[in-house]
Amino acid sequence: MASPEPVASPDPAVSPEPAAPRRQSTRTGPGRVLVAVYAIFALSATARAGVQIATKFSHAPLAYLLSALAAVVYIIATVTLANGSPTARRIAILSCSVELIGVLAVGTWSLADRATFPDATVWSGYGSGYGFVPLVLPVFGLLWLRYWSKRTA
Amino acid sequence: MRYRDTLVTTKGSTMWSVNGAVPTTIIVAGLTLAGYALLMTALNRRMGLGLLIGLGVLEILLLVLIGFIVARLVEGGRPASLPTLLGYLIAMPFVPLAAGFWGALERSRWGPAVVAVAGLAAAVLMVRLHEIWPVIRV
Repeated sequence: MASPEPVASPDPAVSPEPAAPRRQSTRTGPGRVLVAVYAIFALSATARAGVQIATKFSHAPLAYLLSALAAVVYIIATVTLANGSPTARRIAILSCSVELIGVLAVGTWSLADRATFPDATVWSGYGSGYGFVPLVLPVFGLLWLRYWSKRTA
Repeated sequence: MRYRDTLVTTKGSTMWSVNGAVPTTIIVAGLTLAGYALLMTALNRRMGLGLLIGLGVLEILLLVLIGFIVARLVEGGRPASLPTLLGYLIAMPFVPLAAGFWGALERSRWGPAVVAVAGLAAAVLMVRLHEIWPVIRV
């Protein structure tokens, strides 16, 4: 649910001259879908972590802190993928990597040591509570960023 | 998706339940919109009027549902986690709006794909709403 930035992107679709090349970046093309899905996860993870920490933090502190970490990672990935500058892409690669490592580590950990996770995080069971989208999303994100690294190299 | 045997845990009466017709319609509408949008992506079409109308219909349905849920809250019904429900009520109407803007910025087949994400998200939201507050029947 990233709000479109009217200042940063003067909608190229409106310009009538077809010769004007459209400015492409990590937010255009398939990246448009990627940013949309990341935005949904950024919003839902932030809201979930916020409510959990505010209302029942002592119930499962580790799980809720990991939820908060996931939320931060999703926000950073959304913003940097939507920005698309070389620096933003570098940060995006880092956050997508942290995300992939996080979902694999927390996924394994949550299955091996259920007592530590009395309440679910976004990454519990490799994101099974979210249709495994948290597992697939960083893979697509990294592939998309690699495509851009090659393209601009 | 039917949860006929769900125990209604609202304090007081088991009579309070949000009519399942609206959430069910939203699920059907969301999935239909997603299917149509993905077809447009497969056919290499851009955002068109049809998809915008579909998003408009979804928006109206979501607003109607929010009205029903707010009515239950006003009557005194409370879900297990009120902040979570309020978060959903605030975020829900922005799903079709944001998808419309974000998809319209894209002048390629990937614009309709964004609409597909919104349609799927709306359907998932209904299942989540039911989990948050079982009186919201699906």
